Amino acid sequence: MRGAAPSVLLVLALLASHAPALHGQRDMGRRAVEALDYPPIDFRPPVPDEWDVDGVPVLMIEDHGLPLVSVYARFRGGYGLFGREYYAAGTALPSQLRYGGTTELSPDSVDKALEYYAIQTSFGGAGEAISATMNTLVEHLPTAIELWGSVLARPAFDSTQVEIWRGRQLESVRRRGDDPGGLAFSEFNRLLYGDHPVGWEMDASDLSSERLSSQRLAEVHRRVVCRENLVLGLTGDVTWRDMRPLLETLVRKVPPCEGTLPPSPIPSIRDEPGVYLIERDLEQSVIVMAHTTDVHLADDPSYYSATIGNSILGGGGFSSRILSRVRTEEGFAYSASSLWTMPRRYDGLLGAITRTRPENTIPAIELILETMEGLRTAPPEAGEVQTAIERIVNGFVFNFDTPGRIVSRTMFYVAQDLPRDWLERYLEGVRRVTAAGIHDAFARHLRPADMMILIVGDPERIGREAIEALGPVTVLDVRR
Amino acid sequence: MVSLLAYQPASAQLSPGERLPVRPVTLGNGMRLLILPRPGAPTVSFVVQFGVGGVNERLGSTGIAHLLEHMLFKGTTTVGTKDVDAELGLFPLMDAAHDTLVHARAAGDVATVGRLDDRIAALEDSARVFVEANEFDRILTRAGAQGLNATTSTGSTMYFVELPSNRTELWFVLEADRMLNPVFREYYSERDVVTEERRMRVETSPGGMLYEAHLAAAFTMHPYGVPVVGYMSDLEAISRSDVESYYRRFYGPNNAVVAIVGDIDPDQVERWAREYLGPVPRGGTPAPVTSVEPKQLGERRVVVEWDAEPSLRIGWHVPSGVHADAPALAILTSVLTGGRTSRLHRRLVLEDQISGGVFASLGPGSRYPQLLQISASPLAPHTTQEVELAIYEEIARLATDGPEENELERVRNQIAAGSIRRIQSNLGLAFQLAESLSLFGDWTETFRFSDRLRAVTADDVQRMARDYLTQQNRTVATLVKKEGT
Repeated sequence: MRGAAPSVLLVLALLASHAPALHGQRDMGRRAVEALDYPPIDFRPPVPDEWDVDGVPVLMIEDHGLPLVSVYARFRGGYGLFGREYYAAGTALPSQLRYGGTTELSPDSVDKALEYYAIQTSFGGAGEAISATMNTLVEHLPTAIELWGSVLARPAFDSTQVEIWRGRQLESVRRRGDDPGGLAFSEFNRLLYGDHPVGWEMDASDLSSERLSSQRLAEVHRRVVCRENLVLGLTGDVTWRDMRPLLETLVRKVPPCEGTLPPSPIPSIRDEPGVYLIERDLEQSVIVMAHTTDVHLADDPSYYSATIGNSILGGGGFSSRILSRVRTEEGFAYSASSLWTMPRRYDGLLGAITRTRPENTIPAIELILETMEGLRTAPPEAGEVQTAIERIVNGFVFNFDTPGRIVSRTMFYVAQDLPRDWLERYLEGVRRVTAAGIHDAFARHLRPADMMILIVGDPERIGREAIEALGPVTVLDVRR
Repeated sequence: MVSLLAYQPASAQLSPGERLPVRPVTLGNGMRLLILPRPGAPTVSFVVQFGVGGVNERLGSTGIAHLLEHMLFKGTTTVGTKDVDAELGLFPLMDAAHDTLVHARAAGDVATVGRLDDRIAALEDSARVFVEANEFDRILTRAGAQGLNATTSTGSTMYFVELPSNRTELWFVLEADRMLNPVFREYYSERDVVTEERRMRVETSPGGMLYEAHLAAAFTMHPYGVPVVGYMSDLEAISRSDVESYYRRFYGPNNAVVAIVGDIDPDQVERWAREYLGPVPRGGTPAPVTSVEPKQLGERRVVVEWDAEPSLRIGWHVPSGVHADAPALAILTSVLTGGRTSRLHRRLVLEDQISGGVFASLGPGSRYPQLLQISASPLAPHTTQEVELAIYEEIARLATDGPEENELERVRNQIAAGSIRRIQSNLGLAFQLAESLSLFGDWTETFRFSDRLRAVTADDVQRMARDYLTQQNRTVATLVKKEGT
């Protein structure tokens, strides 16, 4: 059945500028930039066709430019929907689908076949979903779909491959301290989210033979890789008529779900301002700071104001205040940015990240806090708001630059229960943001004095007294 | 198994890449452009590649090509300023203070160094009053630009961005201005930014530290041994005038290649190229790199002690990417570590389970004789020595027996599929076109290289392993955990 897709005719004429043209003049520099006249773009982005195969939604854009086909699968379910005792198995599931063989083929045979036919696959997962993609030359499509479908739906979880994965993970645990940036982020998550899936960090007990085994993987697989959890996407040099029988065979390998997985728990996020120190003898400190906020992803003015506000604060690169002040003006850091996460179901974080040499650690933190305070106490300038909005509006066309991007995004909307025209609503919401709205968002939600500040670095070179002046200090004992 | 895609010589059938309707244009000033219209979304990708990178540096000013790359985002005589004359008036004061500072540092005069650092910072603050910070970036950001950035490698510096295609002329306006009227404002704070980049990529990264030590040991004379990001002491000594003269020496349009790929009218783009970029005056001809790495006369070993778990790098000297052996060397790296069925992955990761992963590549650049390099980390309690020995055993087997035909077929099939996949993305294509024209003098060569790869035989691969991957020709770098950490 051909589904009813919402109209996505974009009013891309908004890309047109009405500055007067200076024909024939080949000036350059600022004056020439201001004089440019941009013609409107007449573009109707392709809209995915929506099909249904035995209850599984399929989104498809035909693209006959090159003899390639990509198939995308997204299953609701991941380690975050199970308890901690399933953390390792849930994390291992995507890679063990690929590496663990099938009920018909050994792991080695799967490797050989995929590599021989030059079929590219990727398997990944976050806490609440796993995804798999397959890209093949169209001439091998039936073979590729057959193989990929078996890998997804009929895995063997070969015990040797499980052992190899366990060994590599144990080594990752051992090497966790080698990368100060990665250490800072994982410890910050653990600090704030505690025993919630966002805060989990793999350790040796997760990797015990009881918690990570072929049986445990099969158990997680049965709960996740089932029909009601699945959304499929498709792009490439193929028609629905040719594709349909192949997908029917694929979907029929995936059994119906035994029940619905519960949503992941709502986290109780720690909110205890102060400095959290991981002492390391490093030439450069890593700084992560944040506090909680209750702005959520929604078609709501506060969400759009927060989005544009974050772009002005530090999410918009060189056009944002934090990078301009910390990097451009002071030369303190190569990278510095704000973060404002806005999950749909629970609270997010508002804060900043940077890295700088030990002696500049405290000045950089103070400068970031001062920059935050500036946006809390006064609205942003009109030019800043305009830049942040135009960045999204004029760059909007890049949301449609490949069929794969359009299909993947629409699959996400289907999985998240977002309206199909979410992107168009988002564009309209962003265009309506005002300086007053942003000021209101920061005044309500930004609390520079309440930041939890994590520093990985050398306290002797940073200065212990200066660290203590930022707030109560907790030294985190992170094992090597 | 039969071969999936029978090899045919280039003359019989052009590859998908060679069939692309690329329009080459050479301007009177020597700048070479490749213009490629492609159907699809109304976007366009731009790549400008200057033939200058880490190899064009000398000890004392290492990192200058990369530092210059940063400075070219600082604007021009009109973009990025409120009063350029007032700004320029302060430059000589800052630069004089810096020159004195460099001498004071060499003399160990810490007090003077501190005083002059403060003086330079104060002068830069005075100049900042006249600066419109990051205006170049902001103009492009407002236009909807994606991925505005640049990268410096051993052999080239690439500037790239994507724009909605109705903003194509904007790119020409800004790029012509940048080529004609750059101003190296905020130099000293940007230099500090680059030192922070070095701290991030090298001084707090065990992998970065080991890589730097490995190249320095493998190349005793050729500039491939020097890090592109530069040494810290050199970064602190390079002056603004050094950067300006480097710019004049290497950034002439005759040393640039431009690739423009996307939803464009090639006639209009060519007209803009001639009108905007044509007037940029031709530069001098940059001096060639004349240093040649002498033949290695025995195994070299280097150890880095670091507060991190152990890892290993091995490199063998091999010819450049334009040498007749280059295709066979590329196939050799793929036989060694390209995929899960490759020899070293199978041995180290799947069978012996002594390493979490093993990777082979050719580098650090393709213009001059380079390294075939292998990196791997042991899984405790196994050691780098065990990993190293297993690698040598596999190489010896390959050198004695050569690869099997099915290994080569796998690689050939992947090359055939790769020759189609690699032309999917406009930006990726722009990079390939620019690099091919710059390296080989012909944009089609990168696509013909696929044919040469497919023509490589088992004997060729065996010869590569036997002739190049020898004990005498290798340099081994090992990261060992520092005692007491």
